This record gives sequence, structure tokens and C-alpha cells, in this order.
Amino acid sequence: MIKKAVIYTFASVFCLVAVLSVVAQSQTQDPNKEELKLQLPKPMFIGTPRNIKTPNLEIVTGKPRGPFFVPKGTKLISLRRPVTASDRQPVIGETGFVTDGEKSGEDGYFVELGPGMQWVQIDLQGEYDLSAILVWHYHAQARVYRDVIVRVSDDKDFMKSVTTIFNNDHDNTSGLGIGKDKEYIETNEGRLVDSRGTKARYVRLYSNGNTSNDMNHYVEVEVYATPAK
Amino acid sequence: MNKTAFRGLFLLVLAGALLLRLPRLGLRPMHHDEANQAVKFGTLLEKGEYRYDKTEHHGPSLYYLTLPVAWAFSKHTLASLDETTLRLVPAIFGAGIILLLLFFGNGMGRPAVLFSGLLAALSPAATYFSRFYIQETLFVFFIVGFLGSLWRLAEHPSTGWALASGFFAGMMYATKETSVIIFAAVGGAIVLTMIFQKITISGKVPLPKIRMIHVLWGLAAAAVTAFVFFSSFFKNPKGILDSIVAFKGYFEKGGSAGFHAHPLLYYLTLLAYSKSGAGPAWSEALILGLAIIGGAAAFQKKDRRLLKRNTGRAEKLFSSATSAESSFPKFIFFFTVLATAAFSFLPYKTPWNLLPFYTGIILLAGMGAAFIFQFLRKDYLKVIAGLLLAAGLFHLGWQSFRANFQFYADPRNPYAYAETSPDILKLAKRIDGLAALHPEGRRMLIKVVCGLDQTWPLPWYLRSFDRVGYWQDWPTAGGFERVPLIIADQDQAEKLGPLLQDKYQAEYYGLRPDVLLVLFIDRGFWEKYLLDGKK
Repeated sequence: MIKKAVIYTFASVFCLVAVLSVVAQSQTQDPNKEELKLQLPKPMFIGTPRNIKTPNLEIVTGKPRGPFFVPKGTKLISLRRPVTASDRQPVIGETGFVTDGEKSGEDGYFVELGPGMQWVQIDLQGEYDLSAILVWHYHAQARVYRDVIVRVSDDKDFMKSVTTIFNNDHDNTSGLGIGKDKEYIETNEGRLVDSRGTKARYVRLYSNGNTSNDMNHYVEVEVYATPAK
Repeated sequence: MNKTAFRGLFLLVLAGALLLRLPRLGLRPMHHDEANQAVKFGTLLEKGEYRYDKTEHHGPSLYYLTLPVAWAFSKHTLASLDETTLRLVPAIFGAGIILLLLFFGNGMGRPAVLFSGLLAALSPAATYFSRFYIQETLFVFFIVGFLGSLWRLAEHPSTGWALASGFFAGMMYATKETSVIIFAAVGGAIVLTMIFQKITISGKVPLPKIRMIHVLWGLAAAAVTAFVFFSSFFKNPKGILDSIVAFKGYFEKGGSAGFHAHPLLYYLTLLAYSKSGAGPAWSEALILGLAIIGGAAAFQKKDRRLLKRNTGRAEKLFSSATSAESSFPKFIFFFTVLATAAFSFLPYKTPWNLLPFYTGIILLAGMGAAFIFQFLRKDYLKVIAGLLLAAGLFHLGWQSFRANFQFYADPRNPYAYAETSPDILKLAKRIDGLAALHPEGRRMLIKVVCGLDQTWPLPWYLRSFDRVGYWQDWPTAGGFERVPLIIADQDQAEKLGPLLQDKYQAEYYGLRPDVLLVLFIDRGFWEKYLLDGKK
């Protein structure tokens, strides 16, 4: 008898918690938003990622990134858009690799730009409300890219109307200001940057070498957005 | 080829060897193993102390032979040492190997000596490890010296050559424990050469014309040389016994290689062709191909005529009753095959361990190249062969240039094995910049909390700091209150992070491919550093 009561009590509590979770989820989730569906490349390096909990290093959990919600109607708009770069003659590959939709970590899928501070710039060929930017620098090896800065603008020269949406240059090496975002280890999940609906046509991504060498790499950059309102 | 032309060409080859070995020796970051050797040498330099370690570090010759170079550059402390001073030692010995090839003039002929020298001068493997502060290039120098003086002893038996053979044998032993493999390969090659001569020529096993007294002189010279070095110049007589006891550990290490376990054909495939992803292709197949020709030529009936044409004297490695056939190329062939097989069968493999048997391959390749020109009768065929060979040599030189000056620390370079990332230089620069601001300067406390495999080459880069502590696990490292800098591997950083919280700024630095270090900088100190604008 007591056993049955205990089972019923536990079952009731479980059901209640489940219902409350669903309600809470539906209340916190904006009805105008939907989960951003991403296609990730297969992981390339095997090894236990370290969960380094410090204020300015990204926590690597080894688990998949949680869902990211974006306005309904958000689409991938960067595919095969024109790309320019500060290094006009990449050491390996072509700037077109940045938006070609190929995200494999294997050789032959990344563009390598010269040493030091370099950038790539994507022309979205129209103004958009940017929801998210996903960047894979190089994920065949556990490495950290330095001074990663993502800026957006409606000016192709980035002289005016520039918004910085990500900056982990913690010592201002780039001269673009000290960033508060965290350094992170590259994985097949890429780095998702919340662009918070910023209106822009051009996306420029900076980096300044990495922990393996002084070169700069891009496997792919994806920009998700809705048409500008 | 007359003597003057030979001398001129040989000097050119030597100059080429130096050109690839001497410039920009400080370019590549210190490898784990180099740093280890450098710090060991630092103790000898500063305190005059050296004790053979039967578990690690190999033989003493590298350290003692670095002393005169360090003194010549007025370096008397570990802190004052630099990469160039240290790497000058293998670079000099690397070029010296080519000089020692002159020992073989009568055995393989001047053209073959020239070709061997040229291939040794340009080989990417040979040049890369001639710029690497470890024992291997010195070991090869002593092997070539040993083979050369042994050959001279067989040709002109004398006490001098007996002593020289013994000296080089002793130096081999005082350099690397793997010298026993080379001694066995030399012994085996002598026996096989004699048996071959018996079967094919004379019908009886010939004996070398070396007298017993010379053998005794050689053994005595080898024993004295080894004793002098292993006993730390008579300060530690036990060192010679330790050198024998050490074999137990090295046999175990050779059998259970762990990370360094590689397949049987690792060395030969590495030399033949390697390409990593989008990186350039690397190949020393030219040398391997010529060595095959050289090996085949060693057994050609034409040897006698060719030898006479090139050397003008019959060789006498074995008794004069043996043969008019050349025995030296056969000896080198058997030595190379045996040494290559022995090193290949050992599960423990690193790229630099190929050098001892690769020397034999290069000698065979030199003979192979010379044979091609002797074999071809028509001038236009010789021109074509010359052009092809020149293109191959240019390709070797180009690869050497790329290996040493462009891809020197790049995992796409097959010889850059577990190489330290150039990022370590940024870590060193950051710490130097911070020390310049710290009230205690280079007496600033630095705690290094890293596993053993992640610690090196940090002691090299932190050699000028007075207060650096090393721990493998954070609980043993004491408190972290007001410690300006902490360096941790990823494993330890994971545990230290919550402990240090926001009191520290953290930065990632690359140590090796897939291995990262975290530098924790006291937050207040970091902010002061940023305000000062120094990076």
C-alpha cells in the first residue's frame, strides 16, 4: 500500500515538473522566434576538450551547443555571396571557400590568409537584419584564434556605421578596442555570434593568427538574417 | 677527375652544406628534447657538473663538445645561452660529416665521394637535424669517422688508424646508446662481405689484414674515450658502469614505444614520400633510388675496371688473396641493409633516428650516381643524366630550404616531429613584457603547473627568471595568493580556473599541435600592464 503511494507520488511529481517545464519553455520562448537549425560538419580531432572555467576563456563542455532562437523567417543568406580579404593572395585556397557551403575540417576546404591581423569581408548584396553569424576558422586541430572581431556595417570600407558584435581582443592588439568576449577553442560546432538583429550589408571578420601558427584560416562563415525592415 | 678539380668541387659542396646549416639557427622554437639537453648543458656550463643519467638524456659527448663553443661566444651561464650558440654544435658536426667522406676516396672513388657529399649537404633530413640540438648529428659524425678510419685501417694497417677507429667507436658509445646497433651492423656487414667474397670469388673465407695488436689498440682507445666521457673526466667513475646498466632501460623503451611506436616501414616511407593535407610534398626518393643503383652496382662484375679507373689502386679491406672485386661497396651495402632493418624493427621511432642508417644510404647513393656516369658511354646520355640529376639535386636543396626556413615548425614538415609551436615565443615575449613592469622584475614568482609532457621547453624559455617553480599537480603547488603568473596545461587549468576565479586574466598559448597552455596573469597586474600600453 505504502509502496503504491510512493510510486503515485513520484509519478505525479514527475508529471507536474514536466508540464511546468513545457509551460516555462513556451513562456520564455518568444512566439515570433524559432530554433535556428544548423548543419554541422563532422568533428575532426579526438580528445577530451577541457572545461576551463575562467572569466575570459570560453567553457568547453564537449556537449552540443544548446538551441539558439532567431526570428521566424530567418534564412542563411551568405551562401556563395562575394568575399574579399585583406590578403589578396591567400597562401592556400580561395576567399570563395568562406561562403561555399563546405564546412569540412579536412584539407582543401579552408582558405589560409597571411600572418598577423587579417580580415575577410562578406557582401550580403543587400541590407538585412542579422540574426546570427557562425564562423569556423579551422577545426581539424584544437587551436585558438587570436583577436577575433566581428563587425558589421552598411559601408563596404567600414568607415562609418560600424557595429562590433564580437570582440575577444583582450589587450587591444588590433587597435579596434578592448573586447570582453572570450577566447575559445575551435571545434566542429563553429562559433555562433549573436548579432541581435543589427541591420547591415557587410560582415567583416578579423583574426590575428592562432596558437599553432601566425596564419589566419576560414573554413566557412554563415550569416543568418531576415530582410531589413 | 684530377685532384685539383676534385678539391675545388669538394669545397663547393662543403660551402653548400654550411649555407643550409648555419644561417638563422635561432629561427625555430626550441623543441622539447633540445630544451632538455640545453638545460642539462647549462648545469655543466655554470657549475662544471655532469653526471651520466642512465635513464634519460643519452651520452655526455654533446655537452662536453658544446663547452668550447659556448666559451668562444663568452656564454658562461644558462641564461646567457641562446639557440644559435647551441645549434652551432650540430651544425658544425653536420658539415664535418662531409669532410669525413674523404676517408672513403680510395674505397668508392672521387666522383662517388663528391656525389655522397652533395647528397648529404642537400638532404632535408640531414640539414634539418644538423640544426637541432640533440645527439643525432654528432652520432652520425662519429659513425662516419669510425667507418672511415676502419676502412683506412684495413687499407693501411697502422697504430694511428687503429687508435682513430677506437676513438670514433668510443665517441659513438659516448654519444648514443644505439651505437650498439651500429657496432652490430658493422660486425655483421664484415662477416657478410667475407662470406660473399668466399662464395663468389676465392672459395675460402678471407680474413682482414688487420693485426691483433691493432685490434687491441683500437679497443683500448675506445675504452679510454668512453671512460673519460662517461666518468665526467674522472670525476664520476661510476658513470661507465651506469652506461652499461642503462641498456636495460633503453631496451624496454625501444620495445614499448607508446606515442613513438611507428610501423615497420615508417622510416623508408617518410623518406620516399610524405604529404600532409594541403602542405607541400616531401621526398628524398632521389637518394633512395640512387642508393638502389649503388647497391646493385656494388655487386657488378665491372667493379674492378671502374675502381681502377677512379681510384687507381686496388682496395684491400680483406686479404689480397680475396678478390680483385670491390669489397668496400659491398660492405657499405650490407651495413646499410642491416642498420636499416635493425632501426626499422625497433617499435620506438622518431625521424632523427633514421640518420645513422641514412648515412649508409647516402654513401650507396653517391656510388650509384657515380656508377651511372661510368655506365653510360655516350656523351649525350651523360648530359641527359647530368641534367636529370641536377634537377633532382635542386629539388632536394629546395626542400631543405623549405624545411629549415619556411616550414621549420610546421606539422606539415615530416621532420618537425612533435615540434614546439612558434606560439611559445609569444608566451615568452608576454612574460618578458610583464616582468619589465613587475616591481621584482625577473625575480617575479612564476608557478608552472603542468604535466611532464607539457612542461618542456618552458624551463628553457624561463631560464632567465630566478623564481620559477614546477609542479605537476596544482594541490602540491602551494597557495596561489598574489602569485603574479601561473602557467598551466589544459588539465590543470581546468582545475585552477574555479579556484582563481576572476582574480586572473587568462590567455591561451599553443605548445604543440593540439596541446595548449594557459597563462594566468594576476588581474591587477594585468590592468596595470594594459594601462602601461606594453605588450
